[in-house]
Amino acid sequence: MLYDLRHSDLRVRWLVTLLLATLGTSYLFGAWMVGLYAGFSTTKVAETYGAAGEQMMMQMPPDTTMVTERPVSMAEMGEEQHHVDMNLLVQDTHVHMPMYAVIAAVLSIIVLGLAVSRGVGLAIITLLFAAPWLDFAGMWLTKLVSPSFAIVTVAGGWAMALGYTIVAALAIYQMWWRKP
Amino acid sequence: MKTLVLGAALASLLHITPTVILVKRQDAVAHLLPGADQFAARELHLSSADSKKLHDAVGWEPPDGVVTFYVGKHADQVTGALIFMRVDCQHGPLELAIGFDQRGTIRGVEVTKATVEMKPWVQEALRAGLTDSYRGLANDQAPVGAAKVKPQIGAMPGYMAELIDKGVMHGAAAYRLFYKS
Repeated sequence: MLYDLRHSDLRVRWLVTLLLATLGTSYLFGAWMVGLYAGFSTTKVAETYGAAGEQMMMQMPPDTTMVTERPVSMAEMGEEQHHVDMNLLVQDTHVHMPMYAVIAAVLSIIVLGLAVSRGVGLAIITLLFAAPWLDFAGMWLTKLVSPSFAIVTVAGGWAMALGYTIVAALAIYQMWWRKP
Repeated sequence: MKTLVLGAALASLLHITPTVILVKRQDAVAHLLPGADQFAARELHLSSADSKKLHDAVGWEPPDGVVTFYVGKHADQVTGALIFMRVDCQHGPLELAIGFDQRGTIRGVEVTKATVEMKPWVQEALRAGLTDSYRGLANDQAPVGAAKVKPQIGAMPGYMAELIDKGVMHGAAAYRLFYKS
């Protein structure tokens, strides 16, 4: 343990508590947003990031331009089919990966102050950093290799939630209840 | 503590702000296809040659190779068409709705989406009358809305106006080259 959260100054414990509460709230809204735009099932994730249609069109455009026309309702025109194309995924990766790294680092700093063994600490820190890697690796593999890799993104999302839950539960418990 | 503060500052600097709806798509359809009570989605799956033609004309092609026009009809007569265009920049995406009348002239342009960061810049450009300059523009005329409003607005609103000009140019080129094909 590099420092001990259990016996740290009240201001530090309050800071960590508020940080965890704020991150937890943003994670809940993050989950809501995932539900709105991508979904939690591998099928939905594959539809959002996958190349079905997009890559087919990119690899095999028709010999001559094809035109199709179908009736649509006003409501259908209002719905935007959310699909993340290559350009948007480049942008998403560029802006989100550094932010995920900062969040993982901040949670890891909290882990360093927890009363857990060195091995457990290493495992939690690995989990915190592995989650965003899995998340984005899954998106890219789904786009470039196969929709089957959507499961990697789903696993990354759950790993992120698991990592946060473990850190938050241990930190809150050790800071405010367990005082050996 | 320093790490936390620096981390939070870094995260806020790097994050593209969320998208906000400036005009609901349905409202844009109602404004730009007035009188229409039936609608059809006309999807053009572009061939490589046509994608290249579009790219040569305006330096843009749809990333998925598909251009979708929404056609408005009343009593089975076409009243106009509309296209939603996305324009990307480092601050996030903008979405425009560009409406055309039966002759292919631009009936109007609405900015339907922006990001939280871009919203005030876009609104300043719109207040300066940016979209007025697109009304009645032939689909082969270059939009010059930004040049008209730039003297009255700030640098970032001026940049937004340039992006909106670019989106209008892309949409008009798609209409001119392929709508009737």
